[in-house]
Amino acid sequence: MWETFIVTPLTNVLLWTYQVIGGNFGLAIIIFTILIRLVTHPLMAQQIKSSQGMQEMQKSKKWQDIQKKYKDDKEKLAQEQMALYKELGINPFGACLPTLIQLPIIFGLYQSIMRALAASPMQLLTLTRSMYSFFHISDIIPLNSHFLWMNLGQPEKLFLPFLPTIGIPSLAIVVAVTSYFQQKLITPPAANPGDQSAAMSKMMAIYMPLLMGYFAMTFASGLAIYFIAGNLVGIAQYAMLGKLDWKNLIPGSKNVEKKSK
Amino acid sequence: MKTKILYYSFALFLLMIVLSGCASGMTPSSWAGVSTDGPTAYVALASHVYAVQVSNGVEQWRYPAKADAKISFYAAPTITPDGQLIVGGYNRVLYSLSPKNGSVNWTFEGAKDRWIGSAAIGNGMIFAPSTDYNLYALDMKGKLLWKYTAGQALWSQPVVDTKRVYFGSLDHFVYALDMTTSKPDKAAWSTKLDGSILGSLTLGKDGILYAGTLGGSIYALDSATGKIKWQHSLSSWIWSGPTVDGSGNLFASDQAGKMFSLAADSGKENWSVQPDGPILGSPLVLENSIVFGTESGSLVSVGFDNKTLWTKTITGKLYGTPVLAGTSILVAPLGGDATLIAFDQNGVQQWVYTPAK
Repeated sequence: MWETFIVTPLTNVLLWTYQVIGGNFGLAIIIFTILIRLVTHPLMAQQIKSSQGMQEMQKSKKWQDIQKKYKDDKEKLAQEQMALYKELGINPFGACLPTLIQLPIIFGLYQSIMRALAASPMQLLTLTRSMYSFFHISDIIPLNSHFLWMNLGQPEKLFLPFLPTIGIPSLAIVVAVTSYFQQKLITPPAANPGDQSAAMSKMMAIYMPLLMGYFAMTFASGLAIYFIAGNLVGIAQYAMLGKLDWKNLIPGSKNVEKKSK
Repeated sequence: MKTKILYYSFALFLLMIVLSGCASGMTPSSWAGVSTDGPTAYVALASHVYAVQVSNGVEQWRYPAKADAKISFYAAPTITPDGQLIVGGYNRVLYSLSPKNGSVNWTFEGAKDRWIGSAAIGNGMIFAPSTDYNLYALDMKGKLLWKYTAGQALWSQPVVDTKRVYFGSLDHFVYALDMTTSKPDKAAWSTKLDGSILGSLTLGKDGILYAGTLGGSIYALDSATGKIKWQHSLSSWIWSGPTVDGSGNLFASDQAGKMFSLAADSGKENWSVQPDGPILGSPLVLENSIVFGTESGSLVSVGFDNKTLWTKTITGKLYGTPVLAGTSILVAPLGGDATLIAFDQNGVQQWVYTPAK
């Protein structure tokens, strides 16, 4: 089921893209990522809308009054929260459901990229069996896995002329930096900067880019290309919706704002 | 608060470990490569090269003694006339091991990508095909003599005669390099076929080279000039190289599950047989029969007259080529309980080898 409806179709779209653009797998990954992000854009827009609604609700005086009033009765507080959601027209699952729907696509995308790279006999065997019959196998294989200075099937390291023995994981650094920027730019200001969720957001803004950078350094560089393209497209999507918060990039900007108030 | 931060940090760490594990290959990258010097069989499978006594299936040694997550082997080890075992790893290192105890003689670390194909020996040299597109020529101590860069990865063992080394590439070309000239790193000839060449070439006694392609064709090439003598299309794409017998017959298999017998001089089809699943490996040619494995786990023996002599079904997939060790037929199933199984030539199981953990 997972194979038939997610990985195999995505693999074939990726191969088709590769063939259409003339056999550049790096470009195929970038175009493929953009295509998938465009298809899932309505889900993302819905997610942003719901998140924003919830943020605004958290800041509202009415919600803060309710919290104070029922601080010792968690059951009643939950009931009142649901009632407020209804009143403001907020779907509490609207923020997480689109993410949950996108997750299988993201996992499938990762699997399809790894499959298409077919760097071992087992992977090549699986790839040949995943290809739809309209492909002529000899036109696709061998897949040109070289892009710029990279072999997309291998982890990337850049060797500079003046540092011939030390490989710099340049893509991993770019992945970490773009992940950090994306995280910072798209995270809305916390309703209550001192609470646990704000602390969690801060922590995630540091941990996630490091985690993504680690993956990019360890796995095939084709995946790192996908991460970078995904991060940049994600930032562009938020920009198109007018939801980027550039102030987040300035260290301490929130504190300054808070103190001045 | 601190507890929560610790909790989430730990959860992220766990996620990192799990995902790293998934990507580093919980599923095997390939199937086992098997070779033999007669008394001992050498099996390259995942984290070890195993030496197994052919008479009883008892392990003699394994390399490395303790598994290292960064090292894995799938190419069949090559035994050299001077008593070395040459095997390439997915960690880009080519090893020379002692067949006696598995100790390392030397390593070659000049390749930029993994080793999938086995090395060949000729003219006192080692010819090692790498997926970094290069054929490396080394002396018997692992010193690089020269290399030749093809247009794509090399996945199969080269073949050698007294003058030349021949190999196929995923770039659809068959190459011949002249070892006796002062410029062996220039191709004597190269011929484009209709698809990638994943399996080894076969050199017939009459100087004809045979190749199978992912395009689904068997080719016969003149080894002197590279000129195509004939081409015959099978019913599907071909993974492994064809095999010839001493009577002018060529045997080749395809993904549709058919085993063909062709006339080696013309490519004319003698007969075909279709047991029970795709056939990826080459057949083992015996005196009057061939033995091959299918993806469904059947080991099949067919006489030269197209009569099925016996079939044995085992647990696992038989992707590799059966290997003859003395009078025993060795197979290494993928995904079964056993790593290596020995049969006699009537299909009677002799022993099963499963490495102790």
